[in-house]
Amino acid sequence: MTLAARLPETNSPDAAPDGALLVAFANGDMGAARVLAARLTPRVLGQATRMLGGDRAEAEDVAQDAMMRLWKIAPDWRQGEAQVTTWLYRVVANLCTDRLRRRRRTVDFDAVAEPEDGRPGPAEQMQEGARMTALRDALAALPDRQAQAVALRHLEGLSNPEIAEVMEISVEAVESLTARGKRALAALLAGRKDELGYGHD
Amino acid sequence: MDMTDKDLSQTEDRMLEALFAEARSARVADPSEALMQAILGDAAEALEASRPVPVAAARPGFLAGLWAALGGVAGVSGLATAAAVGVWFGVAPPAGLDGLSTAIWGESVSVSIFSADDILGLEG
Repeated sequence: MTLAARLPETNSPDAAPDGALLVAFANGDMGAARVLAARLTPRVLGQATRMLGGDRAEAEDVAQDAMMRLWKIAPDWRQGEAQVTTWLYRVVANLCTDRLRRRRRTVDFDAVAEPEDGRPGPAEQMQEGARMTALRDALAALPDRQAQAVALRHLEGLSNPEIAEVMEISVEAVESLTARGKRALAALLAGRKDELGYGHD
Repeated sequence: MDMTDKDLSQTEDRMLEALFAEARSARVADPSEALMQAILGDAAEALEASRPVPVAAARPGFLAGLWAALGGVAGVSGLATAAAVGVWFGVAPPAGLDGLSTAIWGESVSVSIFSADDILGLEG
């Protein structure tokens, strides 16, 4: 099982596998770094943005940090042992839960998820923003591994075997983490159904 | 969904699914030019940091100093020749040198490491 897209086999660097580009970069090829950055940054930024509830500035910090770690491990990268994308999912998930944990320590869950002011605005957009913020704060209240498993499964759409590879645990452990994580999320958000626009029906 | 959702009520499950779907479908803007520049700047820095210091650029070390003191290639090749001649004389001193070395250094006992005394064929 691989997470990498199947790429056509040509000699163009744009078609080279991530691992091969990483090794080329470690050997001094900045062109390989440009191809990798263009290919990987959007997905890294997307994962961070979804896990951090749409906080763009924080997601950009995480994306830059994750790519920095990629550049630094390049000299030690062993092709064929792991997919670059699998490794990046892991790094971004860890960086995001680090940030969520810091947030959990400094703010009160109930206070943050409230809309910040009562002024009328584009109603739908405000509600969407509030829902994403509420989801992020609920994720922040979960144990790290549960938050990571839930995010990889439900925000990134990875399969359980893929998540097992990313988190370096068994598929059964993934199933257990996502089940517990979802129950905890439901409990955290239970009192806010109406407010979030998911009232009784 | 999977069997693990059986503990959630239908309403809760629907709410979570709707939240997840909304998060998944939210459009994430492309990375800004500034972010891409910062990331490539980090890449160049990491590359620079991981590169071993080239030997040529290093300050001359002890061996390089000794090499220069001995006169470089020209000096050392003369030295090597002299050393080789010394070894040669040690192994098989020419007849004329025998008396001279005995006169200078006193009597010496030679032990041949070869089976034949005249291995180099110097004595006719």
